[in-house]
Amino acid sequence: MDEHELLEIGNKAVKHAQELGADEAEAYVYIESQITVQFIGGIFASRGGAVKGLKGAFMRIAEPWIKKKGLPQIKSGVKAGVGIRSVVNRAMGFASVSSIEESKVLEGVEEATKIAKIRPPDPNWVSLPGVKKPTGEGGIYDKRISEIDVEKLLDLCTGCCVTMGDFDRRIVQAMIMLGTITASFAAVNTHGVEAYDRGTAFTAYFGAKAKGGGEEVSSGEVLVSRSYTEDLQPLALSASKRTIESLGKKPLAQKYSGPVVFENTSWNELFSVIFPAGISALNVQENRSPYRGKMGTQVAKEQLSMIDDGTMPEGVGTMKFDDEGVPRQRTPVIEKGMLSGILYDNYTAKRESLESTGNANRQGRASSPYANQPAIRPTNLAIQAGKGTLADLISEIKEGVLVKGSLTGALHSNVITGDFSVSADNAFKIEKGEIAHPLKPCTVAGNLYDALNSIVTIGGDSRSFGNIICPSLIIDKIVVST
Amino acid sequence: MSSQIEDFMDRTIKHALKLGASFAEVKGEDTSTLNIEAINKEIRTVSKVHSIGIGVRVFYGKSNGFSFSNVLDEENVFRATETALKIAKASTKRTLISFRLAPVKTVQEKKTTNVSKHPKEVSLEDKKELCLRESKTALGVSKSIANVTTGFGEYFGTIYYANSEGTKTSYEPLLVGLRVACVAKKGTTMVDAREGHGGSVGLDTFEEEAHTPEKMAENAANWALEKLKAKPAPAGKFDALVDPRLAGVLAHESFGHLSEGDFVVIGGSPLTGKMGQELGTKDVSILDEGLPEKGGYNLPFDDEGVPCTRVEILKKGILNRYLQSRITAKALKAEPTGNARSQDYSFEPIVRMRNTYFDAGSWKPDEALKEFKRGIYAIDTAGGQVEDTGTFLFKAIRGYWVENGEPKYPLRDVALTGNILELLKRIDVVCNDLEISTTPFGGCGKINQRAYVGTGGPHLKVRDVLFGGVS
Repeated sequence: MDEHELLEIGNKAVKHAQELGADEAEAYVYIESQITVQFIGGIFASRGGAVKGLKGAFMRIAEPWIKKKGLPQIKSGVKAGVGIRSVVNRAMGFASVSSIEESKVLEGVEEATKIAKIRPPDPNWVSLPGVKKPTGEGGIYDKRISEIDVEKLLDLCTGCCVTMGDFDRRIVQAMIMLGTITASFAAVNTHGVEAYDRGTAFTAYFGAKAKGGGEEVSSGEVLVSRSYTEDLQPLALSASKRTIESLGKKPLAQKYSGPVVFENTSWNELFSVIFPAGISALNVQENRSPYRGKMGTQVAKEQLSMIDDGTMPEGVGTMKFDDEGVPRQRTPVIEKGMLSGILYDNYTAKRESLESTGNANRQGRASSPYANQPAIRPTNLAIQAGKGTLADLISEIKEGVLVKGSLTGALHSNVITGDFSVSADNAFKIEKGEIAHPLKPCTVAGNLYDALNSIVTIGGDSRSFGNIICPSLIIDKIVVST
Repeated sequence: MSSQIEDFMDRTIKHALKLGASFAEVKGEDTSTLNIEAINKEIRTVSKVHSIGIGVRVFYGKSNGFSFSNVLDEENVFRATETALKIAKASTKRTLISFRLAPVKTVQEKKTTNVSKHPKEVSLEDKKELCLRESKTALGVSKSIANVTTGFGEYFGTIYYANSEGTKTSYEPLLVGLRVACVAKKGTTMVDAREGHGGSVGLDTFEEEAHTPEKMAENAANWALEKLKAKPAPAGKFDALVDPRLAGVLAHESFGHLSEGDFVVIGGSPLTGKMGQELGTKDVSILDEGLPEKGGYNLPFDDEGVPCTRVEILKKGILNRYLQSRITAKALKAEPTGNARSQDYSFEPIVRMRNTYFDAGSWKPDEALKEFKRGIYAIDTAGGQVEDTGTFLFKAIRGYWVENGEPKYPLRDVALTGNILELLKRIDVVCNDLEISTTPFGGCGKINQRAYVGTGGPHLKVRDVLFGGVS
């Protein structure tokens, strides 16, 4: 499907809405082709003992395979659909169809318009967005992704699986998931907006489990990128390495309160759950954000600056337009500790007579974006890097804790207050500026907004985790207990 | 639309065979779901999703591959077929295990669903009113009702199936549901209760006396108010009287999953190797079927085109049959039972339940209560945890302390724990009031796929159930 075809479907849809009496209408037309290959299993029969082939076979997830061979779970296909917003008397109706066949799309338009008619008018509604020229070039469209072969992905998987198992005899299970998405969309509305863009993404996840000395530990690695990455060996190795270094866990002698080093991976997990909610204009307007009334004031340590940039070429969230056809842009959020901007979509911006910052996004509960209504989300929210590697940060701490890897329970954080209490499975005791030993799973508690005011050091090791780009940090006044 | 989908299905199969597949099957789908949710008296969400597409599974060598497309043109549909075959070829090189299909008789049949007040004939306005009527009634019951959430859901359309052996089926799934949840508040105490009704029926079901929006709202509100005065359930072992809804969840969650063929093949189920063994008292039978008489979700065929048979998993206490797909049936040397289901066209079929329930016995419920000397009457469930060993923890929505055949006072925090295989041996009363319930809100989840299911049973009395254990 090319640009012209997607726009044509969109134009037919909004025209039909007008014929049905809609004051305004918008069609979001989306098509993607995806492949995911998932590979799970205990790797080497010669090491692990029992061969439980059938188990892997029938579940197609979980459990073992047999000696470097396995049964992958592969899912591949094409999905297209349209999300329609129809406005009648300041009330919005939304419906979606998982089809781009004309008669079905027009039925969806009828549904959306019908829904608009049974809803009460929204006093805050102004209008759908108008035409605006894009400022950026859009993101990466990598042909190596759109044209990749299942066979190729399977070979990559097998290779990584062997690497992970060969790293250490104590690795008993490896899981690898590789995914490619090639997507394009058009946002068309009755005010003349005809936005179109396309992009590719490549994701990889590596999980390892190790057993030793009566302990069982696990850890992993992740990659999210707009372009194809063939050399996955370093990440596969890192997943195994992270797992093995967690063996030999000891409890903390006593509850710890003080500076904690957060590896970029761990910091991202907390930050990406809590902070985007705080800078969402909707939450600020509806009094669900601590940043209400704080514009232009100091909200963090002076060394902290961050920017949401929907135009950076390699950014995972980069597109020419957002999901309602408004150009993506750069929005400084915090400058030298001062709150300088929050993120808007069309609805919240017009409510304050402002311009949208191009942060409308249709990721949501439904797996296909066309089945969700747009909400405010960061594009590429980057914390400006400081200096030093993770080891440099550790060397700054006389006695303390390093929180590494993935955290459990981050999703249960209080996104309104910023309070978090998570379990860290890959934490370490720091003594005399060096890692002393791994810690038994420990609870790490604090408040994210307070943490921004308790930053000690910002590292230089920035890494992209999708919509968030951040380095490792040292934060003071964090409570850790095992 | 139907002729277009069926046309593509035929061409897909031909294309797959031409490319060298030993077997090909296609699921076609044209369905829609509607969900309306109201909080207090305000309609919050109305979401309509229309789903159209085809999924294709091919067998090649000793493996198989699956792909899908919802762009119904030759380029995309043929590409899906080629991808499925490519996956099958790539898998077959890397696996040591054979996937084969048990033989079945071919079927050519189109089933239609004819009910009065089918949701497609009822206006959105009227459906919205069902929710608002519930909200209005519940809020009017008492000032202590602090919050009322109501919802209407529907799912209907056509599912097509065809394979290279000549089977060609279609049917029209239908599911509607209405629910209400009330939160009651007094001082710092907050409690909730809920009620709902659904099935493969027309919307006139909500005109029946027991299921009008007003009646269901009154029930939920009154049960919530009653819970404000409830005492915490005592911890320890007591006899339990279990209502049909809780019995249904026990049948499905803690027992049904253990009887799924894929789980048995891998030796992961505690029911593996127990065929013919006595697992429960002779009064206990557990069934799974597609077209039950007593309500539930109607399913004539599964997603391998196999008619949904009535499976007596547990027959008078004895393990009798497992639930099978064509693949697991082949591996277990059994007959396929019509239990292969996929969430939608974009997923491949796996072994799933349909309507799972404890069969009716001979006791009248009021006689069973009269004979109930001392214990807890546990009603419905708000969820819980189950493990693949059969161990479970369920929180009942409501409960009563019963002495000498009389409910004495309401309880809250009623939680039952135990292992289903032990519980089955302690069921000593099975009543005759079998009911099967189902809902379009959610469904059962397994390996990232959801499926609509029905669950049910009659009132059951069970000796020595462990209560408590919820923090």
